[in-house]
Amino acid sequence: MKLKKYRIAGLIALLVAAVLAIALFGFSCVSGLTPIGWSGGTVSDGVLYVGSLEGRLATINLADQSKIWAEPLKVEAQSGIFGCSASTGCAGGTARVSIYGTPVVSDNLVYVAGYNGKIYAYNTGNLAARWVFPREGYLNPFVGGIVVDNNKLFIGCSDGWIYALDASTGDLLYEYKTGDKIWGTPTVADNTLYIGSFDKKLYALNADDLTLKWSFITEGSIIAKPLVYNGVVYIGSFDRYLYALNASDGSLKWKFMAENWFWTQPVIIGDNIYAGCLDGVVYVLKADTGALVTELPLDSQVAAQPVVFENYIFFATHKGFIYKIDINSYAYTQIIAIEFNIDGPLTEYEGIIYIQTPDYSLQRIDASTGALLPSISLISG
Amino acid sequence: MNVWELIIQQPLTNVLIVISSVFGGNFGIAIILLTLLVNAALIPLTLSQIRSSKKMQDLQPKLAEIQKKYGKDRQKLAQEQMKLYKESGVKPAGCALTMIIQMPVWFALYQSIMLALAAVPEGLLNLSRYLYPWPVVYSSLPLNPYFLGMNLAQQNIIMAILVGVTMWIQQKMSATPSSDPRAASQSTMMVWMMPLIFTFFAMSFPSGLALYWVSSSIFRIVLQYRTSGWGSLRKSAITGIEPGKKYVKFDSPEPRKPAEKPRDEVIITDKESLKKSRKSSSRFSKFFKGEDEDMSDRNR
Repeated sequence: MKLKKYRIAGLIALLVAAVLAIALFGFSCVSGLTPIGWSGGTVSDGVLYVGSLEGRLATINLADQSKIWAEPLKVEAQSGIFGCSASTGCAGGTARVSIYGTPVVSDNLVYVAGYNGKIYAYNTGNLAARWVFPREGYLNPFVGGIVVDNNKLFIGCSDGWIYALDASTGDLLYEYKTGDKIWGTPTVADNTLYIGSFDKKLYALNADDLTLKWSFITEGSIIAKPLVYNGVVYIGSFDRYLYALNASDGSLKWKFMAENWFWTQPVIIGDNIYAGCLDGVVYVLKADTGALVTELPLDSQVAAQPVVFENYIFFATHKGFIYKIDINSYAYTQIIAIEFNIDGPLTEYEGIIYIQTPDYSLQRIDASTGALLPSISLISG
Repeated sequence: MNVWELIIQQPLTNVLIVISSVFGGNFGIAIILLTLLVNAALIPLTLSQIRSSKKMQDLQPKLAEIQKKYGKDRQKLAQEQMKLYKESGVKPAGCALTMIIQMPVWFALYQSIMLALAAVPEGLLNLSRYLYPWPVVYSSLPLNPYFLGMNLAQQNIIMAILVGVTMWIQQKMSATPSSDPRAASQSTMMVWMMPLIFTFFAMSFPSGLALYWVSSSIFRIVLQYRTSGWGSLRKSAITGIEPGKKYVKFDSPEPRKPAEKPRDEVIITDKESLKKSRKSSSRFSKFFKGEDEDMSDRNR
């Protein structure tokens, strides 16, 4: 009898604890605690390379949709009972590595950097591993993408370092330390590497040896990929400004203030620069003066890298709507809605727009008609 | 953005970011300060909960008596207990009700901390939706997650242990000893279960959340101590319930020493004593004035 009473008491206590636990994880759920990844695609010789949400590089032959999978990226030893770690977050114990940067193809090699703090090089033909950096251990997570130029691979890391590797062997050539994390993708132009850091600075480094040419300080962290065009560097910052700097010395040409962070790289078409912002507006500015031509309010944050096809520029919003903007008239229309958030870059190839969505698939949109084509599954096996 | 986010979560998150910015981008201090601020705002509710709990503790001897007296008649026992509660102004459900009212605030605080931590790219992107158009907010993000050498965005075993210890102390202080073995075992289980569960969580979640739990527990420990002392944490309160017995064994308090009467206080009860007293009093005064008779005799 007594034992029964104790059991009942125990059950009640367990019930209270369970209710509290459910309340904590259910009612007070906060999105954005788990790294998922938003790799874009790169097309080379009719083959699309993408870092899948399963944490492995995938190639899709766009002609026949045949796929090849690389080995899954390896997870660093996890800490935390629920499988939470720097590389996997709290993904319910699943051991997968998030991939944020878009793969880069160069000279029969394809490169991808993982949130596990490693960079991988594979043969483009069969995705056999060629090299990995670092060979032993793991660095901090890689969020930004890779740039390959003149057989050098450049990337910024969450540990604040910019690494220059030999693209053929993965050997470390040079490194440069910034003041904080780097989550942005670098740009190389005229033998200069441009990259933003969370230390609020845009760095211009000599691509030969990563020595500093100049740096420009803003009032906010920088995550956007710099755009270099006609001797001008365009960079958006978390201080809500889009800056135009002289590429030669980093002096300010003009700046334009929006209402939220600039997260993605702007696009230049003709005399105009199109800058998507997290305030949900695409700003069209004169590239040489920064004068506002027009602003195009969309439905939600614009974090995804846009693409250009014929006379249109295509933007995707966080809520999953795709817009096309006529570059002549600035008229814009919503062409389709996908039922997933879109934060990763769009890819355009032969009039088809490819977007990786959280349902482990590659959505395809006909850029001419706006029709949603059958998606391609990115689930391996 | 829904109503909850607009009214609760967004303001809390922005306040957290501003506090962090004021303290040189130190997110740890921001978490502690905001936790203390929110706790301070909830003091009336917390105090009512603590007082209610204290009253329950104070009633335990009487409840034990009732238990002893009506242990076999459950209906009568319940009636007598309710009567006692009513007479003493104690609402047994009061503690739980106060806790339920406070819960949304705790959740909001938890959400804001997790949101502002923005440890992963999706988190940072999500955070941008909640920002007020204040330059200080935009410029200070992402926040520096380092505090006292630990990364608040990652797990920390020391913080997890601290969560367990502080929560155990707080639970123990507020636990109501019960004469009913079932309730007592329930109470004991809660004292251990909650700290263990939260330690378990703290080991798997960013230590920023653990810092919030620790600060919160310490605040409540201090508040509880100032309101009702160490409560059940004092071993002398109840030594334990002996299994199989339907009564609670209380330590007999230390025997009080009879209050000492002040030296100059003389209680006169009758005339005889009054006479004696006067005589002695006059002798004392003479002695102190150097006019004591014995002394005079010796001098002679």
